[in-house]
Amino acid sequence: MASDRITLIVPARGEYAKTVRMTAAELASRLGMSYDEVDDVRIAAEEAFVYASGCLGEESNVTFAFTVSPGTLEVAVGPMPDHHDGVGPGIPEGYAEFILRSVCDEFEIERSDEGCTLRLCRRAAALVGEPGA
Amino acid sequence: MPRSQRRPERRLVWDKVHTRELFVYFREHADEESRDELITMYLNLVKYLASRFRNRGEPIDDLIQVGTIGLIKAIDRFDIDRQVEFTTYATPTIVGELKRHFRDKGWAIKVPRRLQELSFRVNQAVDALTQREQRSPTIIEIAEYLEVTSEEVLEAMETSEAYNFVSLETDRSSDGSDSFSILEYMGEDDQLMALVEDRTTLSEGLKRLAPLEQHVLYLRFFQGLTQTEIAGMLGISQMQVSRLLRRTLRAMREHVFVEEI
Repeated sequence: MASDRITLIVPARGEYAKTVRMTAAELASRLGMSYDEVDDVRIAAEEAFVYASGCLGEESNVTFAFTVSPGTLEVAVGPMPDHHDGVGPGIPEGYAEFILRSVCDEFEIERSDEGCTLRLCRRAAALVGEPGA
Repeated sequence: MPRSQRRPERRLVWDKVHTRELFVYFREHADEESRDELITMYLNLVKYLASRFRNRGEPIDDLIQVGTIGLIKAIDRFDIDRQVEFTTYATPTIVGELKRHFRDKGWAIKVPRRLQELSFRVNQAVDALTQREQRSPTIIEIAEYLEVTSEEVLEAMETSEAYNFVSLETDRSSDGSDSFSILEYMGEDDQLMALVEDRTTLSEGLKRLAPLEQHVLYLRFFQGLTQTEIAGMLGISQMQVSRLLRRTLRAMREHVFVEEI
């Protein structure tokens, strides 16, 4: 089944955190995710946004590429400068990684010449109406 | 001469013991100098919190001034007998002062009463539906239950946490969380400890969280329990778990990593 792509580009400033959270939450809700899952997606979106904003700086934009397919929401955040050179955003990568891993089903940091991209994936655990859902 | 009879020596770094000494001396002797030193010591916290509002068209110096009023209020009201770190106590007071400033200026993110009420109803609906269905309800189910749109439910979720610091009374749960310390459950080789290079900063940050916050953080991120499971275990609502988690994550960013930003 085909998937849909939604791209959101927002300035890397705190006032846009809500825009990111609301977009992610709306897409998660559309996939029939539970209140718990939608909240996890919001946490993931915010953590990724804060992390990316720190890497990019206020003058830049953060790109969120959402891919929606049945029961699955994938998000690519970036690219952003890879700060493995020690010039960090104030939030240790390990910390952001720990939180993102906890609230996502899949999480990885993809590194390329352009910098790094956070790749997150969250699935709806159970479709409503299914036994044991 | 007992310790509290002597004015603590002047130091300008955040130091738990020194902070306590100053508060004790300030309370017992109404000592203005101790109060001034506390203000100077925590000005960096004000500067950091003020900087979070800097994109709203107000000069940063004005925001620092407003935030300092919040800091002074926090210093004057802080109860040293409460097992809460001063930074944990002061942050909502300072943020509250900054928000009030914007509200007075008419720039606040005003939460309409309708949304406040809806947020309360969503909270109740989540509890009722979780009980009835024995699982976390979907947004659509909540919307149908309340006869509102999904967008309104999502907006209510946002509203419920807008700088919504759960009261200190809520933190005093009767489930044993009062004494919960996440560090007792974490070893040197813990997954998080292994990931974060600056372990001291992390440990200090975790210690600054209230016991209930630490407990919720531990259950969600270390034990992998869902919000519904945590709510059931701690006897609080799912929305409270959600707020606590978000507040804890923010506190981690604001307190734990503040020195690095």
